Amino acid sequence: MANVSPADSSSQPFLARHEFLIRRLHSLSGLVPVGAYMVVHLLTNASVLESPAAFQRNVYGIHSLGRLLPVVEWVFIFIPILFHAIIGVAIIRGGLPNHGSYPYARNIRYSLQRASGIVAFFFIAWHVFHMHGWFHADWWLKTVATPLAGAQFKAFNATSTAGSAIQQHWLVSVFYAIGILACVFHLANGIWTMGITWGVWVGPIAQRRAAAVCTAGGIALAAVGLGALGGMATVDVEKAKQVEDRMFHHKLEAGEVPNDSHKRTDGDHKDDGQPADMARK
Amino acid sequence: MNAPSANASNGHSVSASKSDHPEFFQVRVLRQDQPGGDCYWQRYRVRYESDMNVISVLQRIAAQGVTMDGRAVAPVAWDCNCLEEICGACTMVINGRVRQACSALVDRLLADNPQEIELRPMTKFPVVRDLVVDRSRLFRALQRVRAWIDVDGYQDQGAGPRVSREDQEQAYPLSQCMSCGCCLEACPQYTKIEVLQQAGESAAEAQARTEAAYDHGFMGAHAISQAVLFNTHPTGQMAASQRLEQLTAEGGIQVCGNAQNCVAVCPKQIPLTTSIARAGRAVTVWAWKKWFDR
Repeated sequence: MANVSPADSSSQPFLARHEFLIRRLHSLSGLVPVGAYMVVHLLTNASVLESPAAFQRNVYGIHSLGRLLPVVEWVFIFIPILFHAIIGVAIIRGGLPNHGSYPYARNIRYSLQRASGIVAFFFIAWHVFHMHGWFHADWWLKTVATPLAGAQFKAFNATSTAGSAIQQHWLVSVFYAIGILACVFHLANGIWTMGITWGVWVGPIAQRRAAAVCTAGGIALAAVGLGALGGMATVDVEKAKQVEDRMFHHKLEAGEVPNDSHKRTDGDHKDDGQPADMARK
Repeated sequence: MNAPSANASNGHSVSASKSDHPEFFQVRVLRQDQPGGDCYWQRYRVRYESDMNVISVLQRIAAQGVTMDGRAVAPVAWDCNCLEEICGACTMVINGRVRQACSALVDRLLADNPQEIELRPMTKFPVVRDLVVDRSRLFRALQRVRAWIDVDGYQDQGAGPRVSREDQEQAYPLSQCMSCGCCLEACPQYTKIEVLQQAGESAAEAQARTEAAYDHGFMGAHAISQAVLFNTHPTGQMAASQRLEQLTAEGGIQVCGNAQNCVAVCPKQIPLTTSIARAGRAVTVWAWKKWFDR
């Protein structure tokens, strides 16, 4: 009667019992760290438009974390993305999009939020495999990742390896463009719905203004992302590689970087410390 | 009942010229004989009269008792009560959109689709028969959020606290909710829950199972809005934390996906999404306090 509480809360499954907390964490993780990471990621990549060396410098900055980097990657990037994705799939399964019967703009965005989430999930999974390879273990890289055109990005040859990975086939650029746009829409629209969920923008006027700001931010971020893609797709891989190798040997001499063959294009043959580009000259 | 002439003669007929409307129009109704039974479409031919609404169409169909191909059938069952869009009883899906049958005017419907009018029961509630649905989940959600003000006894308790004009103006639109279910029907996050009585199960057992199932499901925009209404009332506020507790329980406000169809289809223009955001803010603060004030 008056006192209606959903059954005995201790007998409910974990996910049901903590539905509110899990949904709020899902909402929060979309902004921090996943969304924030994506903004930094796209801005960093867009630095290739400045010069191949600028992008390489940024990558050195990131890799200055050294052995801490995989920990940071897993704690602040991979695990939050996986959490966001898994809970996201559960959320999608709980809804029944009806934009056909009720084709209102916000309802279409509800459906697009779910569609872009699915696209983003597959894109990110493939993108991380394509560039990073998922795991660093040698046997994995040799027997699985490399034969399947994965793990192509080498941090100390950042611009040339990213550029050649994108330039492999024109379809790669198309997939990346679709993936980037899906991720950017998902973030921009996600911030707008997040503001309602947490009670930041409440009234219809505030929500319209917030939508305008999110749209503008989304367009700007899409420009950054597509700019980064365009930069990688048009960069001169050979020239970039020469610049990178000069930078590497300079840093190696200064003792700023380890001679990590995993992070170089032809690092396997250069363990003698001979500068690669010297030989070519 | 006399079959009125097709050319109704009252001067303020909605149609501009009498040739605009057909002599007859078709009505397609999704029927179902019993809870859990199979549903099937049936077509009827109805003679046009001026100023018809869907309720009067259903009355004509009941009066003629035959389908378009002349088969005698049981009349279509439907709910209705006030006939002025304030009770919500006749809510159904008309031409693909949820609304009240009493305020769905045939002239407008035929202007949108001259071929036929399509009537379906709401899809998110268990069908009792034809266009009649069981909306008890809607009322169960109102119970969950304690959508009332507790009055402790019948003695004169004196004047209540004053409510500011501003609060009144915010509360009045929310108080207009007629529990019709439009917001729930249009909500992509509100999915159908139907529990059928099993063989050998008593009605009370089936009822308990149904309520348990409902309590796992999304409560819906109407309940969130009512929780906000009673939490802004000075006396209602005394049970505010109980309502917030329910808003954050399973099937609470966190299930909302911000599609905002609720506010778009609400026949009373209740600012449901404002209520949802207001409740979102309230539970943000409340959950923070709950975890860190102890």
